[in-house]
Amino acid sequence: MRERFIPAFLSISFAVLLIALFYNQAVMFNYYSTLSKNNAIRIVPIDGPRGQVFDRNGIRLVSNRLAFDVAVIHRELRSEGELTDFLAKTLGASRQDVERSLAKARTRPYEPVTIVEDIDKDKALLLEESTIYMPGLEIKTRSRRHYLYGDIGSHVFGYLSEVTESELEQLEEYGYRQKDLIGRSGIEKSYESRLRGVDGATLIQVDSKARQVRTLGMKEPSSGEDLYLSIDMRLEALCDKMLKERRGAIVVMDPQNGQILALSSGPTFDPNVFVKSKGSAERLRLMKDLKGRPLSNRATSNSYEPGSVFKVVIASGALETKKISVNTHFSCPGSYTLGRTRFDCWKEGGHGSQDVKDALKNSCNVFFYQTGRALGVDNIETYAKLLGFGKACGIDLPDEVSGLVPGRMWKRFYKKDNWYEGETVNYAIGQGYLLVTPLQILNMMAAVSNGGKLVKPHLAVRIGSSNITQTAPRNINLKERTLKEVKTGLFNVVNAEHGTGGRAKVEGISIAGKTGTAQNPRGPTHAWFSGFAPFDNPRICLVVFLEHGGKGGLEPAEMAKGIFEEAKRLGYL
Amino acid sequence: MFTKKEYKDFDRTLVLIVLLIFIIGCLAIYSAQQAKGLAFDKSFLLKQIIWLAIGSLVLAASISVSYQRFIDFAYIIYGINLGLLFLVLILGHTRLGAQRWFSIAGFAFQPSEFIKVSLILAVSNYIGSHQDEMSSLKNLIVPIMLFSIPFGLVVLQPDLGTAILLIPIFFSMLLMGGCRIKYLALMALTGMVSLPFAWQFLREYQKQRLLVFLNPNIDPLGSGYNIIQSKIAIGSGGLLGKGWLNGTQNQLNFLPERHTDFIFSVIGEEWGFVGAACVLALFFILTKKALDISRLTSDAYGTSVAGGIAVMLAMHVIINIGMTIGLMPVVGIPLPLVSYGGSSLVATLIAIGLLLNVGMRRSTF
Repeated sequence: MRERFIPAFLSISFAVLLIALFYNQAVMFNYYSTLSKNNAIRIVPIDGPRGQVFDRNGIRLVSNRLAFDVAVIHRELRSEGELTDFLAKTLGASRQDVERSLAKARTRPYEPVTIVEDIDKDKALLLEESTIYMPGLEIKTRSRRHYLYGDIGSHVFGYLSEVTESELEQLEEYGYRQKDLIGRSGIEKSYESRLRGVDGATLIQVDSKARQVRTLGMKEPSSGEDLYLSIDMRLEALCDKMLKERRGAIVVMDPQNGQILALSSGPTFDPNVFVKSKGSAERLRLMKDLKGRPLSNRATSNSYEPGSVFKVVIASGALETKKISVNTHFSCPGSYTLGRTRFDCWKEGGHGSQDVKDALKNSCNVFFYQTGRALGVDNIETYAKLLGFGKACGIDLPDEVSGLVPGRMWKRFYKKDNWYEGETVNYAIGQGYLLVTPLQILNMMAAVSNGGKLVKPHLAVRIGSSNITQTAPRNINLKERTLKEVKTGLFNVVNAEHGTGGRAKVEGISIAGKTGTAQNPRGPTHAWFSGFAPFDNPRICLVVFLEHGGKGGLEPAEMAKGIFEEAKRLGYL
Repeated sequence: MFTKKEYKDFDRTLVLIVLLIFIIGCLAIYSAQQAKGLAFDKSFLLKQIIWLAIGSLVLAASISVSYQRFIDFAYIIYGINLGLLFLVLILGHTRLGAQRWFSIAGFAFQPSEFIKVSLILAVSNYIGSHQDEMSSLKNLIVPIMLFSIPFGLVVLQPDLGTAILLIPIFFSMLLMGGCRIKYLALMALTGMVSLPFAWQFLREYQKQRLLVFLNPNIDPLGSGYNIIQSKIAIGSGGLLGKGWLNGTQNQLNFLPERHTDFIFSVIGEEWGFVGAACVLALFFILTKKALDISRLTSDAYGTSVAGGIAVMLAMHVIINIGMTIGLMPVVGIPLPLVSYGGSSLVATLIAIGLLLNVGMRRSTF
């Protein structure tokens, strides 16, 4: 009995297959034959819209709009010439263009092939009406990503583009299909999995006149989740307009909790350009601009020499380690000599005798040369890292870089050389190997302003219906006296007579900050300003960075002033 | 090289059937790759023939020594194969999606295709050495372990087709080996009861795949579409078919995966019921021969190996063809010797080699 069981089971299975084949091929032959001849199975896609994006006040920033495409089922066309004339006339295109588009439809004659994308609504309506006289012509609707404010907020949002063939191999498991859009930068990339909607479809059977006979299957679409940002669109717009084509970055943050109010990188771009599936001239320009690199986020994905802004780190470290006290005075004759090398102060005549507050206010190099040497390279490295340099801040944007905090070990490992004292001198004024991102400068300034807490900068506060739990600020345990001294110095930068950041001063707001003018091997100096307000209980902390922008005390300080004024007008200060 | 008796017992009919099925497969692959318009790799047939050459060498190797030698090394072969499955899982994990194969010099190598044969050898080794004791419950522990580990690994890949094939192979080997039906039923029941718990461990996309597997209609763009197009192709073939290279479903690119898992749809469309029934008959004879070899072998090891292989081949055919006419869910199982795919072809030829091996050496003592 048991020996017979398996052969019997297998034989019966084969018999069932044979009967089923006979049923399909002989009994049901006419049915399937008709289906096959009419090519009667159609897939009708249903959009699963991508999640929308809102700012902190609930203003819609990124949305989806209905777009109209012209599609053609070539086999059903009565006359190609007639359609060409008609489309050329209606769309206002040349006959050659229409013919070239129609050629695409010829290679796949049995299915609707999109030949013109995203036409005007009224033209779409006109064409839709004529589909009765033009068999084979179809107007298809689909939702397209729409960035409501064009190039405002471009580096926050990022852009989308179609998945490539090679990516598809991996992404198919996650339900991606050909022609699907995927986030390439900004929050579109970092929140891709939450924002993404999944398209559904119905599978229908049609008769020879393309009318639906029955539904064979259905896949429900699912929409993506909406994303709520901490961005204030009004501040964002101001910052983006300040930069426009300028190479640089501006970031505004609440220093108490790390919520980003505005994040701007210049040159800005219009993400709408990437939504269409075909490359436009504008898209090519954006991708080919190697100098301006408009698609690269300068606030988080590029690192630069910080220059004098870094003196905040030196001052804090030196006070903290008691290498200097509040009463320590160094005299600045205009230059400083180490061995046979002379290191200049930016002011030729020198600043005379100063304490740390004066030195911050004047951004005196000579004071910091000496303080830096007293502190030593190892301590500089330690305090730079403590204040968040040398590693990514962890903002919810893709491709954040960590910058570079050099030290003895680094020098030995990468340069195969010892650390020289002259390098410490340069280190102290934020020059040399040191590289930082504008966001890191902002994060440091926030920590100094809020009483020594390193926050985690972030953009998203809510996804769908769930709030995002924020990482609590991390106390880096700087002494209150240290912070008070440094902050007073920074207040003087803006408010005292001859302070380097005087141009940032706004009547009625107590602003503190630091300027930076960083030499670099690639061209004119980088210009920095980073500051916060109000002095006692800061609500706004910002960084303005202009690549090769000249002096930090000039344009960046003036831009900062504009932002502080706007923040006051908006009720933040 | 072989003794006279071995040569006499070498089953030439079986080899002929295998060759016939392979040639039919080549014709179908050739037709499938003729489709106009789309970018479609036109070198499948050539690659398949290269794979046959490799597979024939492996087949020759697998009959050159007695199958007892393979049984002796069964656990080692099984262990290596498990290691490869692990490796695929780890590599696949880092690459986000499912990864079933390694790429060696441009040729994909898929360890899950080989685990079926490795499992058959390992279980045969155990059953053979516990010949008359298989009715006891405690002697089921080792076979269950041998089965569960690779089963879990292929489920995780997820390669549901292979996982589902392992079940009938394992059960029928135990049944032939003398396990009590009561225990088999108990095992089946335990497996079904523990399904909801296993579900928790699956990742979202794995769950999704399983759901689509159970009900293809929830994804009409995916397997639901495949089944419908496949049924139309086969059904419209009629009694005599549309003729070789004339299948409209095939030629117009409506048939997905038509050179691999859905190759039978091409045969059904172009050669009709007559052609499809012939292919089915060839596979039936192959299965019958394998079962005969198993039945006529006096050695318990040989019986078990041949029996396992018979079930493996037959279940491949039943599930694959059942899938193309909508009787079985789409699981991604190739039609042995017909579907394009190197790992599958080589693994099948190893199995055929072992079958021939048992057949020609069954009464050496």
